[in-house]
Amino acid sequence: MAGKIGVYFDQSNIGGGLDAEALAQGVRDKWGSLAAVVKVVPVLAEAVDGIRADIAAEGLDGLLLCGASPRVDADLYRFAPHDGTPVQVEHVNLREQCVLAYRDPDGASVLGLPPGDAPELLRLMATDYVNMGMVRLSKTETPEPATGPGTRRILVIGGGWTGMHAAMEAAASGYEVVLVEKSDKLGGAANNIPVSSPLSSPWTDKEPLELAERIARLESEPRITRHLEATVTKLEGQPGEFKAEIATPQGPVTVEVGAVVLATGWTPLDGKYLEPMGYGSPSVVHAGQFAKMLVEGKVTARRIAFVLDTTLAEQAFGAGALAREAGDGGVYEAADALKEDEGQNVESDGENMDAPYVKEDLTSIRHLQYSNAVNSVGMLRQANIICDKTNDAVQAFVIYKNMAIPGILERFYKKMQDRLGLMMTKADVTGVKDLGDRVVVSCANTLLGMDFDLEVDLVVLPCGLVPTTAKDLTVNFDYRQGPDFPDLDLFDGFADSNYICFPYETRRTGVYAAGCVRQPMTLDACAEDACGAVLKAIQCIEAAEHGVAVLPRSGDTSHPLFNFVRCTQCKRCTEECPFGALDDDEKGTPKPNPARCRRCGTCFGACPERVISFANYSIDQIGSMIREVQVPKDFKKEGPRILILACENDAYPALDMAGLRGKSWSPYCRVIPVRCLGSVNAIWVSDAMSKGFDGVLLLGCKYGDDYQCHFIKGSEICARRRDNIAETLSRLGVEPERVDQLEVAIDEYDRVPDLIDGFVARITALGPNPFKGM
Amino acid sequence: MAQMTLHTDPAFTRELMEAGGSDLKKCFQCATCSVACPLSPEVAPYPRKEMVWASWGLKEKLAADVDLWLCHNCGNCSDLCPRGAKPAEMMSAARNMIYRDLTPPAIVGKWMSSCKGLPWLFGIPAVLWLIVWWIRAGFNDGNWFPRTADGRIVFGQIFYGDYTIDPIFMLTFFGALAILAWGCMRLWQMFKPKGSLLVLGPKQCWIKILWQVLFEEVITGRKFDDCQDGPATGVPQESRRVSHTMLVWSFAILALVTTIVAIGHWGGKVLPCILIETPMPLTFPVKVLANIGAILLLVALALLTWRRARLNPKYQSSSYYDWYLLGIIWLVAVTGMFSQVFRLMDCIHSAFIVYYLHLVFVWMLFAYAPWSKLGHFVYRVAAMVYVRMYGRS
Repeated sequence: MAGKIGVYFDQSNIGGGLDAEALAQGVRDKWGSLAAVVKVVPVLAEAVDGIRADIAAEGLDGLLLCGASPRVDADLYRFAPHDGTPVQVEHVNLREQCVLAYRDPDGASVLGLPPGDAPELLRLMATDYVNMGMVRLSKTETPEPATGPGTRRILVIGGGWTGMHAAMEAAASGYEVVLVEKSDKLGGAANNIPVSSPLSSPWTDKEPLELAERIARLESEPRITRHLEATVTKLEGQPGEFKAEIATPQGPVTVEVGAVVLATGWTPLDGKYLEPMGYGSPSVVHAGQFAKMLVEGKVTARRIAFVLDTTLAEQAFGAGALAREAGDGGVYEAADALKEDEGQNVESDGENMDAPYVKEDLTSIRHLQYSNAVNSVGMLRQANIICDKTNDAVQAFVIYKNMAIPGILERFYKKMQDRLGLMMTKADVTGVKDLGDRVVVSCANTLLGMDFDLEVDLVVLPCGLVPTTAKDLTVNFDYRQGPDFPDLDLFDGFADSNYICFPYETRRTGVYAAGCVRQPMTLDACAEDACGAVLKAIQCIEAAEHGVAVLPRSGDTSHPLFNFVRCTQCKRCTEECPFGALDDDEKGTPKPNPARCRRCGTCFGACPERVISFANYSIDQIGSMIREVQVPKDFKKEGPRILILACENDAYPALDMAGLRGKSWSPYCRVIPVRCLGSVNAIWVSDAMSKGFDGVLLLGCKYGDDYQCHFIKGSEICARRRDNIAETLSRLGVEPERVDQLEVAIDEYDRVPDLIDGFVARITALGPNPFKGM
Repeated sequence: MAQMTLHTDPAFTRELMEAGGSDLKKCFQCATCSVACPLSPEVAPYPRKEMVWASWGLKEKLAADVDLWLCHNCGNCSDLCPRGAKPAEMMSAARNMIYRDLTPPAIVGKWMSSCKGLPWLFGIPAVLWLIVWWIRAGFNDGNWFPRTADGRIVFGQIFYGDYTIDPIFMLTFFGALAILAWGCMRLWQMFKPKGSLLVLGPKQCWIKILWQVLFEEVITGRKFDDCQDGPATGVPQESRRVSHTMLVWSFAILALVTTIVAIGHWGGKVLPCILIETPMPLTFPVKVLANIGAILLLVALALLTWRRARLNPKYQSSSYYDWYLLGIIWLVAVTGMFSQVFRLMDCIHSAFIVYYLHLVFVWMLFAYAPWSKLGHFVYRVAAMVYVRMYGRS
């Protein structure tokens, strides 16, 4: 808790006619001795040495820097502890979100006004922000990191191509590895791929996989412990100190690991999905079977059609077809039926923890569609092998609707185009018929300008890669929220959290997915994925050891602290944590696992008793900031006051950018950044309402299936809570419309002022908050 | 749904690639070539469709394709092809393959398709003229290099026009013409769509159209200018109109000279007033004309060879057919010139040997014309006449 604060005004970044000296005087008058040093400096960035001297001379333990956004030059303003006392730094954003974004009610700009000429509304806004900053600083404590043992051992689940790469990579980085493989040999699906698509530059040529050599190398690596015919039966604990139980033929084994790489791969899609494409007759096989035929040297066909166009199967099993099938009594499994379960999934296991967990099979036709790129490359690879073997005497037709070649493998594709024996053509495959002595593939909409039948000896169909996580419990978490990854149905069973910015991350901190369990990918991509996931695992172990957060708040030393005296065991926090960080005891008292925590604050947003707080971010802190705002009593004359709680990941930067790019919004708003909308506690809204604010706008990320929330569930949970808040408000006679949640992406700076102005207009139309002035 | 079954022939594609279309598989059907081609019609443009037929190995489609012959091989398509598939090369290779097999005797077409056939091609006329030489040497008291009574070198002493050169070349020339005519008819048969053809509008006699084509297109070389009007390719190109037109004119002049001499010689036997004796004096108008034709030929050859030598292999290259024709014309021209030079220099051995070679090469030029690039000149004219007959121009 900062008790001696140095307040610095950055004259170079305060314009709009604001008088920095007057603001400084205001601080002195209001805060007295708490503000031990109050200075106006011409250029803050050049005054760093002076600030350092002040810290030493005055023994400052807090700095309030008033000027540009906290996102500007953040590195410049980190100060070493003085006499063992850390120096807290807060910024007051007087530039981007105050002066630059200011729009006078009469529309006039304040840019270029000489100091002292600022309109009263702008002066009030600046004063509010400075005072809010003072409160915030005075309620901030220095977090103590929750350090842990940081066990330098990585559990790799899955001994296929990806898992082997991950194990070797981790071992090469100096970490112990425990490699668990379900079958009796390493290599997985790669056992059927003697010759691979290109794995390295120049990306044009097939490459021998040398699996046996790779396995031998792995087996001679002393850091790697292998368990074949083994499965992980339980994973408990937290990053840096997980305890994994492994069932092996020799009996159960328990190992301590720091992090987990999930490389459990895939299984082929059930053949029934391929039946509409002719699967089932002896001359129609899928790519997985063809791979085996190639390995065994059983391919005698001279004319082979590789059918990449899966429209026939999609028509039979797609969304439209399912509706039709339902009428017939549902011959086929309803792949989309899961959609209806949505929403129940999040908290479904809340009350019946003792009931055995039933794993739902998420297999669907979409796995075939998702596998298009892998099949595109794979079929070219197989056709290439066949052409090689017969010196192009064979005719391999690749019939595609979408030839999707990922990345640099384009070069391989180009080379394959030049192959005499390989004919690629775009067409809609309208039928595959086995006539006994030959198979007829009917093609429509072709580049030959006519529909035609192609007679071949063998048809190869694509293989759908179904991630193991779609069918099996791969990790068996011993977590409060259940043994499986949450919301797998969002990704059709793939262990991918859809993090655009954070690949490999799963919703279980410390467990990183790689390879085809994450998304269907080619061998080269699997190898790269393995490296990425291992690096993540290593980062995670290091972070756990130092007691700091992993992405997205990397390096954050704070973590939730529980005041269990007041806890009512309502379980809201344990249920809502997007990462399952909180376990609980028999009574329901939360049991924190700080190394699993990503510091979003969703738990304290959930807590009705305000039991949870962070050292530098708490209910009281934000509440006090809200209460610090001067809300005028006269709505008509002095305007409304609107509180904006903005997600600091996307919404807050968007507001900064809007200001920098000459956008402006209503001068009646006050913005407070929050870690995530998930951390917004209902109490803040009632604080604002009782203070006399006329509206509260929650500005956060998009949620739902294609969410952008950095904490995945934060904005969604907030939206759910908002409904409850609105209900409470209307019971109190306050219009529920006074609280709204709007979605904004980080690049929508041009849209965000309109969102705010629209909300302000709605509030102005509603009139003053009935509690105003009470 | 009953629809046509595609008959693909990978062997045909392989052959086509070996015959010069080696990059045809690179085509990804973007149709840049059809847009780049200044001659291509708006409906069913070429060479995109030919490229897809070629990569599928649809031999029948290509054989029945008249567009193949309308291409003037400017190379715009190859210059602009984003994949370097060189459609122009494929078209040219396909043409070569078609006239290789178009007319009998098929063995000659095969010999003509690669340098492996050269010994045969050269051997036949070499033996033929050697026999003539041997027989005629017998008439000259066994002297293989005789002089006239006044000491001049007269080639006619050995290669006596009336009994040797004239009948052999007439036979060869008209034989080649007959074969070409047969080839043209076969081509037209191949072009004709299967089933019955309904022709709307006035139908014109093919002779009239041939006349139009010869005067509007061939003599003027107009199409080469159209080639030049294509989109900018960024690849430097020079007009082929001058060199090709020069070549056509030089052939025309030399043909005219030959005709005059033939008429003068044979007609002179009936009407002594038009008698022309060879060798003609250098100042004689026909001789002057002959030498003008020869010089035009040499200049055209030099231009064409120079152009071919500088082709950027990234976009265009020269096939064996291109070099064969250029080479044989060079040899005809050079041996023709040198036999005259050696005769005037009075080097009797060189003169006779070079003249003998000249006869061999001239025979090769005429006799093998239906299977050489000269043949495609005729077949292109036939295709142009065919499309004009059905209203395309």
